[in-house]
Amino acid sequence: MENQNIERDIKATLKKNWRLFRQSRLGITGLVIVIFFGFLAILQPILFLTNVWDEATYHPVVGYDAEQVTRTVVECPDEYPTREYETKEDCPRVDEVNIRYLKAFNIQVEVGDLYESNVQPAPPSSRHLLGTDSLGRDIFSQIMEGSQVAFLLGLISAIIGVGISTLLGTAAAFYGGKLDTYLMRQSDLVLMLPSLPFLFIISAFAELKVWHLAIVLGTLGGLGGSVITIKSQALQVKVKPFVDSARITGGSKRRIMFSHILPNVAPLALLYMVFSVTGAIASESVLSFLGLLNIDMSWGIMIYLAQTEGFIFTGLKYWWLILPAGLAVTLLAGGFYLVGRGLDDVFNPRLRRR
Amino acid sequence: MSQKLLEVTNLSMHYDTLDGNVDAVKNVSFTVNSGESFGLVGESGCGKTSVAMTLLQLQPDNSVITEGSIKLEGKELIGLSENDLRKVRWDSISIVFQGAMNAWNPVIKIGEQIREAMREHYPQNSKQENINKINELFKMVGLDESISERFPHELSGGMKQRAVIALALSCDPKIIIADEPTTALDVVIQDQILNEIKKVQNLLGLSLIYISHDIAVIAEMTDKIAVMYAGSIVEIGPTQSVFESPKHSYTRALLDSTPSIRGEKKKLRSLDGEPPSLINEIQGCSFSPRCPSPSSGCKNQSVEMGLIQIGEEHFVDKCCSECV
Amino acid sequence: MLIYTVKRFFEMVIVFFLFLVISYLLFNAIPGNAFSSLLLNPLLPPEAYQKTIEAFGLDKPLYERVQLYIINFFKGDFGYSYTYYPRTPIDLIAERLPRTLMLFSIVNVIAFYTGFLVGKILAWRRGSKSETWITIGSVFSYTVFYPWFALMMLWFFGYKMDWFPLGKFLVPEKWYDSPYTSDEIFYTLILFVTVSSFLLFLVFIFTRNIESLQNRRNVRFLGLLSLFALAAMYWSNGEAALKRFYAADIAFHMILPTFTVTLVAFAGTALLTRTTMMEVLKDDYILTARAKGLSQKRIRDRHAARTALLPVVTSFIFTIITIIDGSVLTESIFSWPGMGQLILEAVVQEDIPLAMASFSFIGILALIAHFIADISYAFLDPRIRIKAEN
Repeated sequence: MENQNIERDIKATLKKNWRLFRQSRLGITGLVIVIFFGFLAILQPILFLTNVWDEATYHPVVGYDAEQVTRTVVECPDEYPTREYETKEDCPRVDEVNIRYLKAFNIQVEVGDLYESNVQPAPPSSRHLLGTDSLGRDIFSQIMEGSQVAFLLGLISAIIGVGISTLLGTAAAFYGGKLDTYLMRQSDLVLMLPSLPFLFIISAFAELKVWHLAIVLGTLGGLGGSVITIKSQALQVKVKPFVDSARITGGSKRRIMFSHILPNVAPLALLYMVFSVTGAIASESVLSFLGLLNIDMSWGIMIYLAQTEGFIFTGLKYWWLILPAGLAVTLLAGGFYLVGRGLDDVFNPRLRRR
Repeated sequence: MSQKLLEVTNLSMHYDTLDGNVDAVKNVSFTVNSGESFGLVGESGCGKTSVAMTLLQLQPDNSVITEGSIKLEGKELIGLSENDLRKVRWDSISIVFQGAMNAWNPVIKIGEQIREAMREHYPQNSKQENINKINELFKMVGLDESISERFPHELSGGMKQRAVIALALSCDPKIIIADEPTTALDVVIQDQILNEIKKVQNLLGLSLIYISHDIAVIAEMTDKIAVMYAGSIVEIGPTQSVFESPKHSYTRALLDSTPSIRGEKKKLRSLDGEPPSLINEIQGCSFSPRCPSPSSGCKNQSVEMGLIQIGEEHFVDKCCSECV
Repeated sequence: MLIYTVKRFFEMVIVFFLFLVISYLLFNAIPGNAFSSLLLNPLLPPEAYQKTIEAFGLDKPLYERVQLYIINFFKGDFGYSYTYYPRTPIDLIAERLPRTLMLFSIVNVIAFYTGFLVGKILAWRRGSKSETWITIGSVFSYTVFYPWFALMMLWFFGYKMDWFPLGKFLVPEKWYDSPYTSDEIFYTLILFVTVSSFLLFLVFIFTRNIESLQNRRNVRFLGLLSLFALAAMYWSNGEAALKRFYAADIAFHMILPTFTVTLVAFAGTALLTRTTMMEVLKDDYILTARAKGLSQKRIRDRHAARTALLPVVTSFIFTIITIIDGSVLTESIFSWPGMGQLILEAVVQEDIPLAMASFSFIGILALIAHFIADISYAFLDPRIRIKAEN
């Protein structure tokens, strides 16, 4: 009977919170983005399993597909600008090939001929929605793989981090004294740790996998500033009358902590979790971007490859190598951030407009 | 001498909330003459504070004034631009807020917070003139001059409240609205503050609008009283007349629930039930569900609410006019 | 205030020692004893090897090694850099640190100021169209993948538009027959920026007590103008006039990196200011301020923003680390030869002494920035100031 009541209460609260969340347009946008990338992450294994995509062609790391493209043979002028080409970078265009380049390989063609060749990186086509990279690997598949990595890493590290900080923060508020002092000094220390150089060092000297990174990021996040915030929230809950009444009716300390204080800190913890996913995704991408991580594929690595192979300064000519990965990191991190913002509106009545 | 200073007619206002419209103020009319003190009494949530805020046009963003007018010395306040309102605020009407503990900005010194208002309304004054005036006001409300240089958190509740009164007087207003100014104070300090307010009111010849849920305090402080219930005024008249012959059963219930030191011994009675939710429109008399002796008219909810005159300046709601 | 400062200082010192110990242990925990790679390095002369062994006490137990490391830290002795032999890490850091410091402080100040300004406006214009767009922009720059964004900026402004140089510290051709070294010029630049910001600060402090708002604004404006005049005078006279050309070259190289980090760093402050401002605007004293008939601008700036500043400063302390991280990335992308590039290089080259030294120094940098933010927080909030004094 009582359980039913509680269930109904929870349902009512959730319904009300959802109604509040729905009001925040940015929050909904964030949710849509997160769900979209979640869908991408799940879609890839399904495509492989159902053989819609065969692994030899579409595998994000070892797949290979050479696209046959017919291009016009042109001769690039020595001086720019000319009538057709503005700068040196404009010639040859994507659908053209420079005759001098072909001559260097002793291929006999004339200007104006059509020349069939394999292109890598290949521009987007119906076969490869976002084209291929310089090794003939499908970019879209890489994006999907990247979102798997991002979700895995983001969620694991966020759960670890929030778990640690909620436990420690509540304990600090509840037991106070030496434990509190120690924990606060500790988070001071972690907060002052220059995290990126710290991660450089760890990842350079120990071969980091996604799992390891998730644990490191989670622990760092969990010991840092969120402990302080959760502690102050728990302190506010601790002086509420229902905690006193629980104590008077003889609830044990541990029981009070777990059944009264923790549930009231939970919304804030959830909020932190969502926000820390943003940070975790960014950290992973940065480390991959600098080539310090031992993983096969991620969005950061895609940009790392585009940069090291010198595609960045080709501008928008090879946009599919640069834009999708960068936008994916930005969008997913932003999506989680926006969801957090929406939740903030729900849990913090002082932010509501009415 | 009694010339009309503030005239409120048919004021109605609601709040636009997630759960629907809350009709906080319904068809409220009253006038305040210069030098007069006017009391507004009612339970929590009956719309007293909403009325006070509307007088200064400080109502929250989600409120909508549907009709009515507020005239200060014949000048309409509703619809004035923010800039014009700024000239009226504090200069003509000042307010002592409910829970004045939080009325001070925690990071600015008290003196500076008062001077700030004076700078706005008396730009020609020099700093020294302002300081002199503040010191004078502090003396009037029984505070030491050194308070000017303190931060709010260094003062006790009573001191803060006295300083708020000094703040309210700083720009020589014509009307002071006191919105439950003593709620958060202990009884002894409450009494001191009330005396202080009465003293400065008499001394400076101000009008006072005193808002409280405590009908005993109102009786002590005011010349004229309005009883509010569920957003409407149910009885209004000279304080003495209302206290001696309360006509509305809600007024009677309020009086019966308050102990009196002077009068004969009587049994205190509490009023059952809760005030109605203001979200749903109420048909007929809003008090009828709780009324101890409802008349047949208000029971079947056919009577529209509205005031009728029953004595000199004494009005009462129609539905209760016949219950005596 | 003084007592508070001293107290915080001692806490910082303790945290600093902890930091040193932990960073030593971190390097010590690297699998396969990172120092052993020394033996395999044929470029390194034996005396450097001996020096490193001694400097780090590699043949002694852990406890003594930590002790030795801390002592060496204060002596500024980290052995030799492997990659830059025979330069010492401290020598390299002395060259690189000012550059990072300059970039970092300018970014911090600008990011905080603009972030606060934008956040203030966002909260004030709640619900308007401009709020939505600025919020979207801020969220974008808050969550944008920074290296990618920096590369795009570099591509667009440096390459496509050709407005700014493509990274680096200076254009070597210009310095070919320079009578000054780049460091000399850079120190002049630092001195100039420090002195002028100090003068600006003084102007604000001294005009604080002017009662009339109009006069205060005018006096401040005059002060600003005379500062500009002074600066112009300084650069067109004597030795500074000769240095001007070179200083301009360095300053020119600083613009794009500063702009890029600021663009990313301001957003966090802006979004947080918005949230706190919105909370503060619901406080009672805002209602009092409105009832007093104060102008909207004054309520916003003096009452709401002033109080909202406090939590923003607190969390800005947290943001400092993020900005340091940003600086590290910026340096490697814009090839700005500072601490960030140094540590990345050291890590990639497995140059342990250099990595250790630069990590410790970045730690101190974070610590000091932390300390300054902490003290200014107490300065801003009288409640804390007074609690600390009692």
